[in-house]
Amino acid sequence: MTGPTILDRPERRLDGDEKTTGAAKYTADLEVPGALQAAFVRSPYPHARIVSVDTARARSLAGVRAVLTGADVRGQRLGRRLQDWPVLCWDRVLFVGDRVAAVAADTREIADDAVRLISVEYEELSPLLDMDEALRPDAPVLHPDGASYRFLEGRGERPAVPHPNHQGHVLETHGDVDAAFARAARTFEHEFATPRIHQAALEPRAAVVWVEGDRVRVVSTNKAPFNLRDQMAATLGLSKDRIVVDNGTIGGDFGGKGLSTDEFVLYHLAKATGRPVRVVTRYADELTTTNPRHASRIRLRTGVDADGRIVAHESHALFDGGAYAAGKPTARLLVEGGVETLEGYRVPAARHEAATVYTNQVPGGHMRAPGQPQNVFASESHLDLIARELGITPLELRRRNVARPGDPTTTGEPWHGPDLAALLDRAALDIDADRPRPGGRGIGFALGVRHVGRGSTTISLRLGRDGTIEARTGVGDQGGGQHTLIQRIVAATLGVDPVTVRVRRLSTEGPQDPGIGGSRVTPVHGGAALAAAQALKEKLGGRSVAEAAKALGTGEEIVVSAKFDATASDHGACAHAIEVAVDVDTGAVRVLAAVVAVDVGQVINPVGLRGQLEGGFVYGLGMALFEDLALEDGRVRAANLGDYKLPTIADVPPLRIVHLSDGHGVGPYGARSAGELVNPGVPAAVANAVQDACGSRVHTLPITAERVWNALPAPTRRPSGPVRS
Amino acid sequence: MTQHRIRFTLNGAAVDLTVPAERLLVDLLRDDLGKTGTKDGCSVGVCGLCTVQVDGAPMSACLLLATQIDGAAIRTVEGLASPLQEAFISEGGFQCGICTSGQLMAADALLRVKPKATDAEIRDWQMGNLCRCTGYYGIERAIFKARDER
Repeated sequence: MTGPTILDRPERRLDGDEKTTGAAKYTADLEVPGALQAAFVRSPYPHARIVSVDTARARSLAGVRAVLTGADVRGQRLGRRLQDWPVLCWDRVLFVGDRVAAVAADTREIADDAVRLISVEYEELSPLLDMDEALRPDAPVLHPDGASYRFLEGRGERPAVPHPNHQGHVLETHGDVDAAFARAARTFEHEFATPRIHQAALEPRAAVVWVEGDRVRVVSTNKAPFNLRDQMAATLGLSKDRIVVDNGTIGGDFGGKGLSTDEFVLYHLAKATGRPVRVVTRYADELTTTNPRHASRIRLRTGVDADGRIVAHESHALFDGGAYAAGKPTARLLVEGGVETLEGYRVPAARHEAATVYTNQVPGGHMRAPGQPQNVFASESHLDLIARELGITPLELRRRNVARPGDPTTTGEPWHGPDLAALLDRAALDIDADRPRPGGRGIGFALGVRHVGRGSTTISLRLGRDGTIEARTGVGDQGGGQHTLIQRIVAATLGVDPVTVRVRRLSTEGPQDPGIGGSRVTPVHGGAALAAAQALKEKLGGRSVAEAAKALGTGEEIVVSAKFDATASDHGACAHAIEVAVDVDTGAVRVLAAVVAVDVGQVINPVGLRGQLEGGFVYGLGMALFEDLALEDGRVRAANLGDYKLPTIADVPPLRIVHLSDGHGVGPYGARSAGELVNPGVPAAVANAVQDACGSRVHTLPITAERVWNALPAPTRRPSGPVRS
Repeated sequence: MTQHRIRFTLNGAAVDLTVPAERLLVDLLRDDLGKTGTKDGCSVGVCGLCTVQVDGAPMSACLLLATQIDGAAIRTVEGLASPLQEAFISEGGFQCGICTSGQLMAADALLRVKPKATDAEIRDWQMGNLCRCTGYYGIERAIFKARDER
């Protein structure tokens, strides 16, 4: 068996048996003898001063083992980069759901009862619920002590921001933008908005923390255990080597589980009681108090020459960061995928201004391709509007403007990645774009481009006497098939049957690992798996794995370890073509068919890849049509999965995925990342198809029947209400 | 709170115990009986993670009181032995796996009473089981495959 042969065969996932028999142990499934249950008192106000907290009645309830308030943890703040989120609030609460007190009790029921017995007196303050309000020169400053907050990872200071209610702000320019606009034959400007939406991993967060000697043990649903360890060490003032973070099986992440907020106070409760303390977040709390995708407002201006070629572009993007920036791990405290609009196109001069803003709303965080779905909805809708104004087809406008190798992109960097024109053409071909369609039907296109992640990790291999190989890694598998990817790269490289390679995840007691995220695992962990397998091959010196294993004595192993640093720049890309039918009497949109043409390089896990692409498509479809974590007076209205509408099996259209590849991805065997590639382009493709179908242009997500109907051109729109004959 | 004696079978084995009146079936299964293959997701009967079979019918264990299953035959994923399981693996019917027990128990309940269920009937039936990973395509393929290979 040679490498490619193994990779061509569909994989049998390593976690297949345990996940189809109920044997897989997620964090909430772990038996922890003697564990207490935690519950929290949360603010009912978006902005208030805490006048007093009375815990006496809760403390006297039988079965209550500890009650903590903000006074007990004063000054401690948590966060992935900027630590601005209080472990428990001690002076002010900044969003509905902010925590004021915590209880540990013998059972969840007692903990809940105790929470109800804690009375908090608040003095309501006027909330900042709107980004423009928050950025007024005289707006109240939500974090007056912001300059003193800890900024993790020691690589420089927190970047300066123009307004104290900015979390992050950036202005990037390449080329002489003003001169380029002056030369433009025509200039177009449009504005778009997207709501908060939730990752909605169906497994709610869970954690258990206990103190064992001088060690703090943590089992968490966090998808980057080393990062959580470092955050806890900083917040709690403990040395990193005292904290050990481990995972159970992770039930979906989609970016959200990079932020943990419970483990910090669980530590205090565990210390106070001398017992393990656990919490399983209720889904209502998931939806209302954890870090959703940022709501955005994006204004785009683009100048084109007489042939419709882009000559200048600028964007102004505002992202509602909510009460805390803690959910963002990035150095600029932005959702980075939202900064550089018109990705994938030739843009000779561009200016991008982007900011995240403090408001008294639920804090925003990272979600599958952070910032990018907002950006791509705006950019790809904008392009369609420009094409219509110019009287050329949206497809033709894209063909004229997609970046070819070496072209300046919107970042100013030359394009390096797949053949974007070929992807568009293939999507158009497969949706049968030239076929005449009846009234009320239309097709829409969008391009999606996503960087291939970078970073470094270490993977070790141990070959035993039985001829099996154990790969050890610090990365978990939140569902993406990471462990099977490592298994198959090792097997392909060594020419062994994949079933002889198993993968073991180590806690933070093992070698440093960056965790899941940022389209990282295929290039970084896949690269490390390849390097480790090559190191083992070298060590075997021409012997086969079986021969080398036979020569081993009892208990002997051959061990190799490889650290790999993925640094190369690359992109995955896809083109969407979506066909919709719009009922012009109601505005209702039905997606009839979809094509996604993708270039993700060499395929490592065929079954898993298909799942990532199909799942990514429906993830984007939810954002396009349904999802809206709407707030009213700072309170999330959709507090359960009945109100927060996710796509069901009945909502998904026939989907065709076509692979085109130049085979030159920078990952192992020429692979590229796939997990965050497909979802960003779907909302724009649907919006573009809707306009093609009925002339209705929706500038705000989700694309509801009401919005479509309201935007119908006057001659099309019929009066609503009872029809009289 | 009042205590109630309940007797039922769990995956074929007799169970006889006393539960508080407000004990939910999902908590009874997971916390008292250690059957953690049944998951608790939304807790309001929408997501389908906690789907178990009660006398063959798929039910949300988060909406049932333990007292309501007195006399019933309960089946959880731990008691499942179906071609659906292998089909979910080969067709990409799961990724994170948190919804898988519920998907399997729902699909199995359908195929037991309707082995030749149509594609449309299968889609209709599985509507109460959310999945955030797969986009449902792999789940459909898996259930179709298990049906077709019967």
